[in-house]
Amino acid sequence: MESEATWFDRLVDALPNTRLFQFIAEWILVPYWAARTPVKPQPGGPRMAPQPSENLQHMMNLIMPLKDKSPIGRAKAALAIAQNVDEIYAGLNNVGTVHFARFVLVDGNLCMFSVYDGDFSNYIRDFIATIGSVFNAIVALIEDGDAVIPCEHHVEAFIDWVHARDLYQVPDLATDLLAQHNAAASGDDLRLLPRDLILQLHANPNVSLGSGYRGYPAFSVAQIRQKLGVGW
Amino acid sequence: MSVAFIPHELQGNILRGYRRSMVRYLLLEVADRQAARIWLGAIAAREGADGLSITTESAWSSKPDFCFNVGLTFEGLRALGVAPDSLQTFPTEFVEGMTARAAKLGDFGPSDPQTWPAPFDEPARLHIIASIYADDEPHLDQVQAHIAAAGGGRALRIRGTREGRNFNGDVVHFGYRDNISQPRFAVIHDRPEISEPMAPLGTVLLGHETSFEGLFWRVPQPDPLGLNGCFNAFRILAQDVAAFETYLDQAAEELLVHRLTEHVLKPGDEAKFGQGISRLAALREIVAAHMCGRWRNGVPLALSPDTPNPQSPVSLTDFDYTAQSGCPVGAHVRRSNPRGGKIVQRIENHTRRLVRRGIPYGGPYDPTRPDDEERGLLGNFLGANLGTQFEAISCDWLNLGLQDPQITGSNDPLLGANEPATSWFDMSLLNGASIRLRGFPRFVRTRGGAYTFLPSIPALRYLATLTG
Repeated sequence: MESEATWFDRLVDALPNTRLFQFIAEWILVPYWAARTPVKPQPGGPRMAPQPSENLQHMMNLIMPLKDKSPIGRAKAALAIAQNVDEIYAGLNNVGTVHFARFVLVDGNLCMFSVYDGDFSNYIRDFIATIGSVFNAIVALIEDGDAVIPCEHHVEAFIDWVHARDLYQVPDLATDLLAQHNAAASGDDLRLLPRDLILQLHANPNVSLGSGYRGYPAFSVAQIRQKLGVGW
Repeated sequence: MSVAFIPHELQGNILRGYRRSMVRYLLLEVADRQAARIWLGAIAAREGADGLSITTESAWSSKPDFCFNVGLTFEGLRALGVAPDSLQTFPTEFVEGMTARAAKLGDFGPSDPQTWPAPFDEPARLHIIASIYADDEPHLDQVQAHIAAAGGGRALRIRGTREGRNFNGDVVHFGYRDNISQPRFAVIHDRPEISEPMAPLGTVLLGHETSFEGLFWRVPQPDPLGLNGCFNAFRILAQDVAAFETYLDQAAEELLVHRLTEHVLKPGDEAKFGQGISRLAALREIVAAHMCGRWRNGVPLALSPDTPNPQSPVSLTDFDYTAQSGCPVGAHVRRSNPRGGKIVQRIENHTRRLVRRGIPYGGPYDPTRPDDEERGLLGNFLGANLGTQFEAISCDWLNLGLQDPQITGSNDPLLGANEPATSWFDMSLLNGASIRLRGFPRFVRTRGGAYTFLPSIPALRYLATLTG
């Protein structure tokens, strides 16, 4: 049965778009919520799943704030990548589980975006074992990076460090989002989902919206390379 | 950086198996922190309290009546009063504990920790796993009684026990001979005439060189607590023998009429399996061997691809995997230890090795009298780094098959989290072709477990000195 929206309904619907409401939400409401019900930041990166196919291709969105965010600091980061690019590519090739990887400067952040197969810890550990020295040169430019280099001597701490800077991946489906956010906080009350999500985004300024699109899902790098006859 | 190797400062169950016929695990909760610490200090002494002391790596002049060791969970370290800044130096996987790592380990569905019976249903109250090894029950009882009486009976609470015993030498449920291949350590063992490289001590002991050149694992601090320690994944793995034998029947019947059956077993070669054995029975053994990578008597398929009884004896351990190997890429032993064979993760050959110690629990399955008794393996998977060894093998190799594109997307046929609707396994045929088997269920499910830290003897003494 349809019913016409009353003036009050229309007012409530329009409120979030008013400047006053947005000001109150940003400066009073969300900080008040966050202080009253602190939200633990979600771990970064993907979750392992029961289906093998779900665990094949994963995406890493590593955001690393530069110590020096000036053009000079950003230039140093660009130079660190350029000086080591051959070694980085050779290392990625030897790790054997990497589909794509690239470095990007976004404002004052050096970012590494990659698609890899299997478990995150194994990926990073293999990277350390293969081209740890390059990581050391790069991480030396990053805030809080000095504590985990040389990474060959801080393997566990380095993996944790990268994991903490790998973006939280917001679940692909709204139902999964609900399950993840409401499990501990608010049961299965759909009405509370927006608040939980807002608080999570308050705790994590950068997130990945979903785990990403895959052009050839459930195939590993080695399977693709084998099919193409380029060796694996 | 490597520390000295001092045998009497190491727990003895890390580098060697005691080869006793019975093991009892006591699952303990620290009831009185101070009394428990005093007890740990006492058992760390060479002449331990009331004759009970930790069995160390020291050589025996005569075989003791029993052996005794302890492992501590992260919650156990906390219960004993280890300082927070020290606890923070333990690796994340150990801190989180086995139940939190369920997805990585394939512990979902029927293996979900939510289904584990007591005391594994309350991991926060599982603090110490004491292991007693003996050849008779009275000695097991004697040590258990001692522990129950520790600190006037108030130090520790026994929240459960698990007991395993050998019922046919090294043969385990599913009928395979086990305990064959273990890492051999440079400092401990003579150089064997085998192709596998010797393992550095850092494979299992913290503070020593690891199998990754130039990589060191973090030693939990302070040094007396962490050095020469080892991590252990204790697992209770229930084996569905009836389902396994039923599947062998099903697969053998399919192979009997398969168009490539002569490449699975040449007509007339049944005699290689024993006198009077039927073709169907021989095919059953072939399926079992391909799933494992060894014939049930332990002979490796890599060296004897067509018979469990080669005319000339073959080594059980000295072999490697090649592209032409008679051992399927997806076979259990090849998945969990690909040796020097070609794998996707090029630097992982030989670097994920771990020490396995297992003993069966439950009576042997009698197919003429089917029963519902739970039976399986009490397994210990030891290594200096749980993430690099046990977890890496579990999630990327056993349950994903990432190491070779031919098996990627499939699970280990014996240990994997399989579903009949999706499971598959490729047998290697004598002519180089393969046959894909499908429809097998999960044969092994996890019924409990915990990550423990096996502290050195100085570490036990350190724990005994804690206050507060």
